[in-house]
Amino acid sequence: MVLLKLLWSFVKIGFTSFGGLSMIPLITSEVTQNGWMTVSEVSDIVAIAEMTPGPLGLNSATFAGIKAAGVAGAIAANLGVLMPTFTLCAVAAVFFEKFKQSSLMQKIMTGVRPACVGLIAGVIASLSLTNYVIDSAVNIPAIGIGILDLVLLLKWNVSIPKVIFLSAGLGIIFFGVLA
Amino acid sequence: MKKQREIASLFLQFLKFGCFTFGGGWSIVAQMQKLYVEEKKTITGQELIDLTSVGRSLPGTMIGNVAYLYGYHVAGVLGGIACVIGMVTPPLVILSIITYAYAAFRDNQWVMAAMTGVRAAVVPIIASAVAAMVKSAYKYPPCILVTVITFSLYLFLNVNSVWLVIVGMVLGLVISEYYERKDGGKNGAA
Repeated sequence: MVLLKLLWSFVKIGFTSFGGLSMIPLITSEVTQNGWMTVSEVSDIVAIAEMTPGPLGLNSATFAGIKAAGVAGAIAANLGVLMPTFTLCAVAAVFFEKFKQSSLMQKIMTGVRPACVGLIAGVIASLSLTNYVIDSAVNIPAIGIGILDLVLLLKWNVSIPKVIFLSAGLGIIFFGVLA
Repeated sequence: MKKQREIASLFLQFLKFGCFTFGGGWSIVAQMQKLYVEEKKTITGQELIDLTSVGRSLPGTMIGNVAYLYGYHVAGVLGGIACVIGMVTPPLVILSIITYAYAAFRDNQWVMAAMTGVRAAVVPIIASAVAAMVKSAYKYPPCILVTVITFSLYLFLNVNSVWLVIVGMVLGLVISEYYERKDGGKNGAA
C-alpha cells in the first residue's frame, strides 16, 4: 500500500513539474502530508541533491522512498518521477524523430536552440550565485577552482570525472585543511 | 546481436554519466557532449541542443527525458529505456547509502569540504558544454536576441522554462519566415 502511495505521489510530482527547483513546493506538500518527511528534511534533501550525483527530483524520490518504505520505496518513487519520461517523452520521441527534418520543425528549432542556450546561461548564472558566494561572501578559493576547471575542460580537454575528483581534492585542501 | 550489444553499451555509458551528475542533470548533457558529439560523433552539437530543448520542455525530470530521447534516437525504445535505467541507478544507490548515514554525512567537515570543491566544478562543466553547443545554435543574426530575451526572463523574472521554449518556438518561426521571404524575394528578382 505504501509503495502504491509513493508511486502515485511521485507520478503526480513528475507530471506537474518541469525539473529542478520548480519541483520543491509540490514535493514538500506531498511528502509532508503523507508523513514521509518533515519540512526541515525537505530542505536537507535540497542541499544533499546539490552535493551528490543525481537530479533533485530523483534524489528526493529516493530519500522520501527510503524514509517511507526502504529500498523498495525508493525504487517505487523513482519509477513515479520517471513516468512522464516513459509515457509522454516516449511518444514525443517518435514524433520528433519523424518530423525533425520537416521545414516547420526546422523553423521552430531555429528559435528553440538559442532559447535553450539562454536558459542554460540562466542556470549557470544562478548556480554561480549559490556555488561561489558562500556565507554571503564571494569565495576566492571556490572561484579559483572554478577557473582552473574551466581551463582544464576547454584547453586541455580533461574528462569530467577527473575534473570532479580534482575539485573534491582541492575542496578538502582549501575548505578542510586550510580552513 | 549487434543491437543488443549497442543497447548494453548505451546502458554502461549512462551508468557512468549517472555517477557524475552534479548540478541537476546539466553535467550529463556536458558528458554527452564530450562523448557523443566530440569523440564518437554519433550526434552533432545541434542535435544535442535539440534533444535537450525537447527534454527540457516536457514534464518530469529533464535529464531522464534527454537520456530517453538519445537512446531512442540511437537504438529505439529499448535503447531509450536502457539509457534512463543506466542513468538513474548510480544516484539511487548513492543516495540510499547517504540517507541511511545522513547525520554522519552532514556533520563530517571533510565531506562538506570536498563537496564545496565539487560544487565549484559544476559551473565550468556546464559552461564548457554550452561553449561547444553555441556554435551550431545561431542560424540567423537575430537569434542572439532570443538568447538574451530568454536568459533575462529566466534569471530576472523567474519564468518557467516551458514558456521560454514557447517564446523560442514563436520567435524561430517569425525569424525564419522573415529570412526565407527576404531570400526568396531576392531570387525572384534575379
